[in-house]
Amino acid sequence: MRESYGDKITRIGISILLLLISISCLAPVINILSISFSGKQAVESGKVLLWPIDVTLQSYSALFEGTRVLASLWNGVVMTVGGVVISMVFTICAAYPLSKGYFYGRRTFTLMLLFTMVFTGGLIPTYLVVKSLGLIDSYWAIWMPGAVSTYNMLIMRSYFEGIEPEIEEAARIDGCREMSLLFRIVLPLSMPVIATLILFYGVGYWNNFMNVLIYINSTEKYTITVLIQQMIASQQLLTESLANDTSALELVPEGIKSAGIIVLILPMVLIYPFLQKYFVKGVMLGSVKG
Amino acid sequence: MKSASKKALFKKNVPLMLMFAPALAYYLIFRYLPIGGLVISFENYNFFDGVFHSPWVGFKNFEMLFSNDKTIRIIWNTLWLSVLNLVVGFPVPIVLALMINSVRRSWYKRFVQTVVYLPHFFSWVIVGGMVITLFSMESSFLNHWIEDKYGEPYPFLYKTLSWVTIFVGSGVWKEMGFSTIIYLAALTSISPALYEAAALDGASKWKQTWHVTLPGIRGTIILVLILSMGRVLEVGFDQIYNLRNAMVSDISEVISTYIYTLGIQGGQFSLTTALGLFESVVAFILILGANLIAKKFNNNLF
Repeated sequence: MRESYGDKITRIGISILLLLISISCLAPVINILSISFSGKQAVESGKVLLWPIDVTLQSYSALFEGTRVLASLWNGVVMTVGGVVISMVFTICAAYPLSKGYFYGRRTFTLMLLFTMVFTGGLIPTYLVVKSLGLIDSYWAIWMPGAVSTYNMLIMRSYFEGIEPEIEEAARIDGCREMSLLFRIVLPLSMPVIATLILFYGVGYWNNFMNVLIYINSTEKYTITVLIQQMIASQQLLTESLANDTSALELVPEGIKSAGIIVLILPMVLIYPFLQKYFVKGVMLGSVKG
Repeated sequence: MKSASKKALFKKNVPLMLMFAPALAYYLIFRYLPIGGLVISFENYNFFDGVFHSPWVGFKNFEMLFSNDKTIRIIWNTLWLSVLNLVVGFPVPIVLALMINSVRRSWYKRFVQTVVYLPHFFSWVIVGGMVITLFSMESSFLNHWIEDKYGEPYPFLYKTLSWVTIFVGSGVWKEMGFSTIIYLAALTSISPALYEAAALDGASKWKQTWHVTLPGIRGTIILVLILSMGRVLEVGFDQIYNLRNAMVSDISEVISTYIYTLGIQGGQFSLTTALGLFESVVAFILILGANLIAKKFNNNLF
């Protein structure tokens, strides 16, 4: 079938519009990247747009030598890895029993968990619980209150429910018990949903800002996300930390901030292409069953 | 026979119960205990007396909240900003999904998808840093260009109107791509036969979009709308905290930042819990209300 003239114009128009939208998503990242590699003069005069001018690594060396970025980078990794492990364990513990039709109280427990999606105690009561458990100023204060995302749990439950019952029956006839059924049959078959949730939880912990701000008091436990935020928010902090450095006169805070943002983005951009196919599947799974 | 199968069922349940126990404990301690903790909004809470022995004050905290001009303004700010976020942010992913869906070349489609999903994975710290780099007075490319052309830079982040535009725009920019996934999934489930039939009847691409595509994803649209209704009194803390500045504090103080400043930093637990309870109850009513309306169109969520 031939397409009409009007349809063709529309199609080309849409392609161009999508190209502009794509550029709008990439341009800010490239702009920051260029600034982080540019010299002082070019950055201060606002000349840097999509490619670096007077290429230099000064901003990065100042960032890594003059600030606590390395330690906070490590903190971010510890918090993220620890959080993902805890969240995955708790989420599987909730999702697997609820996916079984014969689990006692399945309906009641499901409703009980769903209710927390529409009604919450809010920030202060949660803070008081965490405080009374003595978790303040440790990463447990970040790991525990958000250990299970009910939405993620539902994604996983739907996936478990979708596994062919015949496979399980066959395993049971072969003498497979409940726990080895989970570890040897169900979990290996669920790798796509596990990868998706690792990504969702991982990004959540890495990007976590509010909880670190609320629950972590000692600055040496700050994660990279919070450290970079403080750099952005206060030029003061940056200037102070650079004060002991005599070569600092050559530097612009703008460049160091941009270098910090790039360090923060980097892990995300590196793992993103590998995981894209998984999270698309994951979101679709979640949308099949609410 | 019956008792034997019951016994077998119980035997199958024991490991499941053991497994569910930690998850249940988590929900009870970190989800339901705070809901119980909401009781302190009716008390004058202090650490020494705790939740159970702090003096009971009834609705005094709520009276204080709703007779105070500042809190009223903060509630309005929250409502305005989130309604703007919803009204602007809700249709954009639908339109974007329709556009992506219409692309024929699969490599171009994949390229666009890969790129527009990316901002979703940036934290508000990153997006906030980008916004400042783009719109700041001192060293942004944009403002240097404006300065060259018109003589002086424009304070985008310090004027209420341009700040609100940037606030809403950056939220849309961050989430529009990722939100298309759910619509794109729904679009693939529309039968191609419907399009063929419409094309045979002489329907143009526009007509097909209007009469086949949109009705085909109506259920998904309503589902997303219900879920976003519950967030009408919620302006994400990270978003506002990373974008606000002192010059626009009149509009940029919202419930979540106020609870943080007054509650966590200021120690006024009862008053801020009352505000949190108000927020939770409104969200709950809105979700149930939206679901009730959706029921009328047979698209209810629960």
